[in-house]
Amino acid sequence: MKKDELLVIIILVAVSLGGIALFSIFNPANSSLSVRITHHGEVIAVLPISEDHQMILQDENGYNGIVIQDNTVEISEANCPEQICVNTHAISSPGETIVCLPHELIIEVIKGKY
Amino acid sequence: MHSKSYRIVILSLYVALALIFSYIESFIPLPMPIPGAKLGLTNIITLISLLTLGWPLTLLVVISRIFLTGFIFGSLSSIFYSLSGGLLSLLVMTLLLLFKKNKPSLLFISIFGAVSHNLGQVLMAGLILENVNIILYYSPPLMLLAIPTGLFVGLITKELMRLLNKTTIFKRLNPSDNKIQ
Repeated sequence: MKKDELLVIIILVAVSLGGIALFSIFNPANSSLSVRITHHGEVIAVLPISEDHQMILQDENGYNGIVIQDNTVEISEANCPEQICVNTHAISSPGETIVCLPHELIIEVIKGKY
Repeated sequence: MHSKSYRIVILSLYVALALIFSYIESFIPLPMPIPGAKLGLTNIITLISLLTLGWPLTLLVVISRIFLTGFIFGSLSSIFYSLSGGLLSLLVMTLLLLFKKNKPSLLFISIFGAVSHNLGQVLMAGLILENVNIILYYSPPLMLLAIPTGLFVGLITKELMRLLNKTTIFKRLNPSDNKIQ
């Protein structure tokens, strides 16, 4: 690889690291956080992250089990083919998301009360 | 064999190999920091095809591979995500190869192919789910991850091209085009 190509790649690393940093700066930890659940493009629930809660979302495509526990949210079970949402680690900081693409489900941690 | 039929044979070979690679990839238990992220082994085939057959036929290879894997292993929505990543990455790699003056290296092309593949998929996800937040959240770490995976794929492709150029397989295609290192 040539020198200028290495430079471009270093810039690319810097841009992505900067992007990660900016994202956490613009989403600072906040005392009151909520969990927003969006299913098929519609917000179906906004719940406080501090209260433990369990729910199962079911539709004709399948189901996802959502667990809010110890100020974190995770998808505990699902019947989607690749199980990417289940393998995503539990989220707790504002801006973090869990996505289940086949079921068009987004779980986000957002600032503010519900 | 007639040159045209020879091209068709090579092309079908690429599609078959790409299918096998994407199948094998699902068995590799590589711990990825982002769930669902993949190595991108099929990009080895896309790169080799791009170097030996040129972009119009590679477009055919990529589209056939995506629809076949989609129908065999995936779903309709997975085809959309694969198309957005695959086509954007093919476009970027083709444009990079057009820089004849300052010839970019194979590793560089591979890394940018991987980066654009990931970005294409995230953009598609943001578009389908109508959510900007997931684009902002997933793009930077996926871009960062694409650099080592793209480098890995590039290294394999480079070695494979070196070995394959010793054989007579590509001699009948267009021998002048595949001398990119």
